Amino acid sequence: MIVLVGLNHKTAPLAVRERLFAGCQDPEAGLPGDLLSTEGVREALYLSTCNRIEIVAAVEDAKATDALCRYLARQGGLTDEETALCLYAYEGEDAIRHLFRVTSSLDSLVTGEAQILGQVKDAYRRALAKNATGVALNRLLHRAFRTAKRVRTETGIAANPVSVSFAAVELAKKIFGTLAGKKILVIGAGEMAELTCLHLMGNGAEEIVVANRSAAQGSALAEKFHGQAVGLDALDDALRDADIVISSTGAPSYIITEDSAARCLRKRKNRLLFFVDIAVPRDIDPAVDSLENVFLYNIDDLQGIVDENAKNRRREALKAETIVTEETANYVHWLKELEAVPTIVSLRTKAEGIVSQELEKAQNWMGGLQNGDREKVEALVNGVVNKILHAPVAVMKEESAELDSRDIVAAARQLFRLDD
Amino acid sequence: MTDLEWILFIAAGLCSALSTLGYLASLLMKKVHLARVSSWVLAAGFVLLSVVLVASVFHPEGLRGFGSRRILIIYAWAIAGIYLGLQFKTKTRVLGAFLAPVILLFLIAAAGSGADRNLIPIAWQGWLTVVHLVLAIAGEALFVLASAAGAMFLMQNRLIKHKKTAAMIRFLPSLGDLDRLNAIGLLWGFALLTLGMIGGAVYAAFVWEGAWASDPKILWSLAAWAVYGILLHQRLAIGWRGVRMAALSCAAFVLFVGTALVIRFCLPTIHSFI
Repeated sequence: MIVLVGLNHKTAPLAVRERLFAGCQDPEAGLPGDLLSTEGVREALYLSTCNRIEIVAAVEDAKATDALCRYLARQGGLTDEETALCLYAYEGEDAIRHLFRVTSSLDSLVTGEAQILGQVKDAYRRALAKNATGVALNRLLHRAFRTAKRVRTETGIAANPVSVSFAAVELAKKIFGTLAGKKILVIGAGEMAELTCLHLMGNGAEEIVVANRSAAQGSALAEKFHGQAVGLDALDDALRDADIVISSTGAPSYIITEDSAARCLRKRKNRLLFFVDIAVPRDIDPAVDSLENVFLYNIDDLQGIVDENAKNRRREALKAETIVTEETANYVHWLKELEAVPTIVSLRTKAEGIVSQELEKAQNWMGGLQNGDREKVEALVNGVVNKILHAPVAVMKEESAELDSRDIVAAARQLFRLDD
Repeated sequence: MTDLEWILFIAAGLCSALSTLGYLASLLMKKVHLARVSSWVLAAGFVLLSVVLVASVFHPEGLRGFGSRRILIIYAWAIAGIYLGLQFKTKTRVLGAFLAPVILLFLIAAAGSGADRNLIPIAWQGWLTVVHLVLAIAGEALFVLASAAGAMFLMQNRLIKHKKTAAMIRFLPSLGDLDRLNAIGLLWGFALLTLGMIGGAVYAAFVWEGAWASDPKILWSLAAWAVYGILLHQRLAIGWRGVRMAALSCAAFVLFVGTALVIRFCLPTIHSFI
């Protein structure tokens, strides 16, 4: 049986997650020491990210679930109350579905983020290195990766940015193509402007000029990005060279008017110019947007895009849930078949044992038979045995695929005394 | 055309029709892999057309069978080749949605024009004619490309200006790339068309008698050449770019296609094979 126990950002406050994180802090070890020696645990994988700590395990029976909960509680030094509040435990199909949802980033803080898949892969790699996984978890994890891949390619869940600064970067890419070699002008040195700059530089933008009323604050930001700081009086020159302008001053009136923008456009030979005005009240005259080859987005426009994208993601997440359900069903089907397989194998082994035993006993009188006749008798016996076994084996296979096969498998084990 | 050439030609036509459908579907359904498949289908069509053209150049009768059908095929071939080459470089597959239909139209026109009609007169055949034809057609194909990029620029510009978050924004290439494509199309189109026209003029000066320079088709070409030249000048020297360039390229394209059709069907011209 597959079980999953753990906690995440929805169930546990940061303080609890931190304690657990510290308790199990040895990522190189692959698994925290004695996980595999926990009673009833056959295979295990330990996933630890800043938003979740989870153990996925193939176990013998439901008793192991409690053992794993106690194990986690001990690792993090959780009180009984915290354990009851923060920990969740899923078994069977629920555990599988949960893992698939996590890997596909449907359970993440930001739905559709890409990091989690890599983190699960790392966790799996470490478990592999420790020989902590077997046939059930190997297949489970590969199915989880496959599900995540399907979710990414078949739905648009990760398609559009859901933060204002990323939305600005995406827009810049849609205007300029590549950001390589593009020059950014930052007017005013706010936190949001800094974040947007960080993303723009991360996407290849080359040069940064900070224009600020206070020279000291401006040069602090400029230094961070190895840029250059200028005063607001040099704004016109800076505008001429810039491709992307991010404005976030606290000025009460427009810093860039339609006239000043039009003037600079002529000087810059109509190269495309992208204004991001994240100041309230606005720094850039909205009429600037009506100029040719100039694009102006203010904070509301960007927020509008982000909202729209978040809505799209939620819609796409519904499609993704369907994929998860489908893949879960696939895995459960396989797992149930697997449950019947050992019984089928031992049934056959037992039958073969009986046949060879009886043939051995019959050595005396069969010695008188001619070679050809002897083989015929053997074939006859084998044929009868196979015919008798055919029906129970077929039923076990069929039932295991459809229903919970445990009853039938158990009945077969009892009827044929396979456990003796 | 031999039977084999005809079969290849039809196959190329099917490829182009399929890729047109694929590109349009990928644009509507926003599936990139459809566009990717369409590119390969179009590439297959391009190869087939190349075979048809090579076969016709090495035809035992030389250029005798060279008429409007083959010239229309050259148009389709040139546009497909230029598009595929650029796509290889710039990865702007969606341009295919605009160019594949144009290619298909040329091929349909080629299929429609009788194989034996409007042939180039035997007296005019020579390598200079071939150079003139290929350069002029390649130049015009590049202008088609510049205009298609312009049309897409206008669409994308409108979407971004209106703060539309429609997925179309994501699907269309960036404004910067489209503006560059427009520049490439104008620059190389103008250069090739200039060379092609010089080739034609030199040939005509030696071979033809009479007032060839007042032929409507030649005047049309001169006008197109001049207008695109002016556009190129404005772009390079004055710094017109972006929206204005895109809009003018589109307008020029519509104007010239319109006048070309009028000349083709209403006026007598010595270039009756085009």
